[in-house]
Amino acid sequence: MYQYDDFDRQFVQERVAHYREQTERYLAGKLSEDEFLQLRLRNGLYIQRLAPMLRVAIPYGTLSSTQLRALADISMTYDRGYGHLSTRQNIQFNWPDIADVPDILEQLAKVNMHAIQTSGSCIRNVTTDHFAGAAADEIVDPRPYCELIRQWSTSHPEFEWLPRKFKIAVSGAAVDRAAVEVHDIGLRVYEDEQQQHVFDVLVGGGLGRTPVIGATIRAALPAKHLLSYLQAILRVYNRYGRRDNKYKARIKILVRALGAESFTEQVETEWAMILNESEPLPATTIAHMQQFFTPPKLPVVDHGTGTLAEQRLHQPAFSRWVERNVFPHRTKGYSNVILSTKAIGVPPGDVSAEQMLAVASWAEQFGVGEIRITHEQNFVLPHIPQGDLLALWQQAQAADLATANAGLITDVICCPGGDFCSLANAKSIPIAEAIQRQLADADFVHDLGDVDLNISGCMNACGHHHVGHIGILGVDKKGQEFYQISLGGHAGHSNTQASLGQIIGPSVSRQQVQGVIGKIINIYLTLRQPDENFLSCFRRVGVAPFKASLKERPHDAVA
Amino acid sequence: MTQLLNQQGGRWSISASTDTAWVSLEEFQPDAALLLDVDAEPQAAWASARLIGIDFPALTDGRGLSLAALLRQRVGFTGDLRAIGAVHEDILHFMLRCGFTSFELADDRDPEIVLGQLAPYSQHYQTSVINPMPALVRLANTH
Ligand code: SF4
Repeated sequence: MYQYDDFDRQFVQERVAHYREQTERYLAGKLSEDEFLQLRLRNGLYIQRLAPMLRVAIPYGTLSSTQLRALADISMTYDRGYGHLSTRQNIQFNWPDIADVPDILEQLAKVNMHAIQTSGSCIRNVTTDHFAGAAADEIVDPRPYCELIRQWSTSHPEFEWLPRKFKIAVSGAAVDRAAVEVHDIGLRVYEDEQQQHVFDVLVGGGLGRTPVIGATIRAALPAKHLLSYLQAILRVYNRYGRRDNKYKARIKILVRALGAESFTEQVETEWAMILNESEPLPATTIAHMQQFFTPPKLPVVDHGTGTLAEQRLHQPAFSRWVERNVFPHRTKGYSNVILSTKAIGVPPGDVSAEQMLAVASWAEQFGVGEIRITHEQNFVLPHIPQGDLLALWQQAQAADLATANAGLITDVICCPGGDFCSLANAKSIPIAEAIQRQLADADFVHDLGDVDLNISGCMNACGHHHVGHIGILGVDKKGQEFYQISLGGHAGHSNTQASLGQIIGPSVSRQQVQGVIGKIINIYLTLRQPDENFLSCFRRVGVAPFKASLKERPHDAVA
Repeated sequence: MTQLLNQQGGRWSISASTDTAWVSLEEFQPDAALLLDVDAEPQAAWASARLIGIDFPALTDGRGLSLAALLRQRVGFTGDLRAIGAVHEDILHFMLRCGFTSFELADDRDPEIVLGQLAPYSQHYQTSVINPMPALVRLANTH
C-alpha cells in the first residue's frame, strides 16, 4: 500500500484546518449557502433528503485494517453505526451533523484519510481493479499510476473548477474490473514489446442521462507522458466543455459535439505544446511510486488445494461460496475473496460498524492487513491462503458477510435512491430487497449464473443501470414511482466488451417489477444453450423475445 | 465599486480600485491594459501588454485558470495578471498558482478574510506556473 509521508500528512491536516475555517465562516454567516455549497462539495459533503451525507475517499478502493477500524469508530461516534459502500469504491456516512464534519475529518486525518474531491465539479477519486496487485490475470499493477494520478489531481490549481465532475479509472489486467469504457477517462496499462509500461487512453465514456462507451484516442502512450497527456485532455475539457447546461457538461458531450477525431486532434495539439514546456515524468519518480506496491512476501504453501478440495466435498455451502466468491491469485496456494454485503434484507452496500471491525481483523488474521472495496459495493480480502478459506468463511457467515452471490443476480448494485437521495424519482433499495426475497432459493440463483442487476433511482445513474445485464431505472410518471427495465448492458468486467442496455418497453409500476424480472428469468432459462450465460444469450437472441416479459398473462412469457 | 488586492513592496494589501483604461482584444496595442473574457484564445502579441485582466463570470468557472496558465507558460506574459469579475476569496489560492498577481474584489468582501485566504496550504503536489519544476513538485523533491 502507499504510505503517507510528512508531506501527505501535512497537506491533509492543512485541508482539515482550512475546511474547519470555511465551515466556521459559513456558520457565522460570512459565506452564503451557495458559496459554501461549492466548498463543501469539494470536500465530500452533500445535503441529502434527510441529512447531510459525507463521502470519504478510499483511494482506488484500498484501505488498511487500521483505517477500516477508524471508519467503524466514526460511524459509531458521529453516525448511526453503519456506513455505505459506494459504486465508486468510497464509503459514505448518511447522518453526520454539518458542524461535526471538521471533527470527523480530523479523525480521518489521523489515519491518513480524507474526503477531498469526493464530490463537486473536479477530478474525483481515481478507481481501479479491486484485485490490483493480487489478480492472477494482471499484466501491470495499476496502483502506482493511480497514486500518481491521485497526487497530481489533488487540489490541482487549474482543474478544481471544471464544467462537471470528472472520473478516471485504470485497469491493468486481462479482464477489465474497473469499467474503463464508461469513465470520463479510462486507462488500460500494459507492457509494450520492450517491456515498457504504456497506456491506451479512452475518453468520453460515462453513464448518467447520456450513456456512452468511451473512444480510444491514443494507444500505447509511454508511462512518462501519462500526466502531461491527462493535463492536455483536462485543459481542453476545462476550456471548451459546456457550462451552460449541467446535463450537457460532461466531457462525453464535448467529445460528441466535436467528433472523436477532432477532439483527439485538439488534445494532441495541446499535448505537443505541453511537451515543449515541461519535462516528462522521471523514471525515478515512477520507480519510487512502484516500491510502495511491491507484492507482499507470502509464505510458500503447497498443501492448500488438496485440503480445500476435501473441505469443499464435505461442505456444499462452503463449496458454493468458494465457487462464487473466491478468485484466482497470482501466487499458488492463495486466493482473493469477495465478502458480499448483499444479504437479504440489507440495503446493498450497507455495512455495520461490527462488520467493519470484523473485516479489519480478518484482514490481519488471514491476509496482509489490507482491504479493498469493489464498485459492486462489496469488500475484498486479497492474499488469503487457501488453507484459511474455511475458517474465514465460517467467521464471515456469523457476520452475515458470506452470501455466496458474487456476480449473481442477488449481488445487486443499487444507489441510495428515494429513501435517501433528494434527486430520486423512485425508491431503489426496496426494489433490490424485493427481488432478493423473490430469489431466495440459492440453488436456483446459482443455476442462473452470472447476472448483473443494477438499480438507479433516477437518470443520474449512480446504480449504473445502463451497464446492468438487467437494469432498472426509477422514473416519475405523473407523480408515481415507475421503473424502466433494460437488458444487455455490460460494464466490461468479464472478458467481453462493454455495452449499454436496451429498454424492453414501457415502464412498469413498483408492484409489477418482480413479476417482470421473474418472466425475464424464465425467458432466459427457456432460450439459453448449455453453458450460455445471461449476457451471451441476450446478445445472441436480441431484445425481441424478452419483450414478452411485459405482457400481462404470465403464460405468454414462457415459450 | 471594487477593491484591489495586490502586492505592494512585497506585501499583500487591499486598496480602493482606481480606474483602468481597459482595451478589448480587437483594440489591443503593445503596452495596453488588455481585458479578456475567459474564452479568449491566447495570442503571442499579448506578451507586450502592460496589464492583462481576465473577467470571471462565476465563482465556479475555471476557464480563466487555464487561460492564465497559458498566458504565463505559452505566451510568456510576465506583467501584472489580474482576476476581475466573480473573484471569491476561497479561489484566490488556485488563481495565484495559475499566475495571477492582482485581484479585483467586490466591495462587500471582508479584507481580513481575503488576506487570510491567500495561502491556506504551505505546499502542493503539482508543479504550477509559480513553481515550475519537472513533473510533480513533491515527487521531484522526495529523492
Ligand atoms: S441515481 Fe439518482 S436517486 Fe440514485 S443516488 Fe444517484 S442521484 Fe440519487
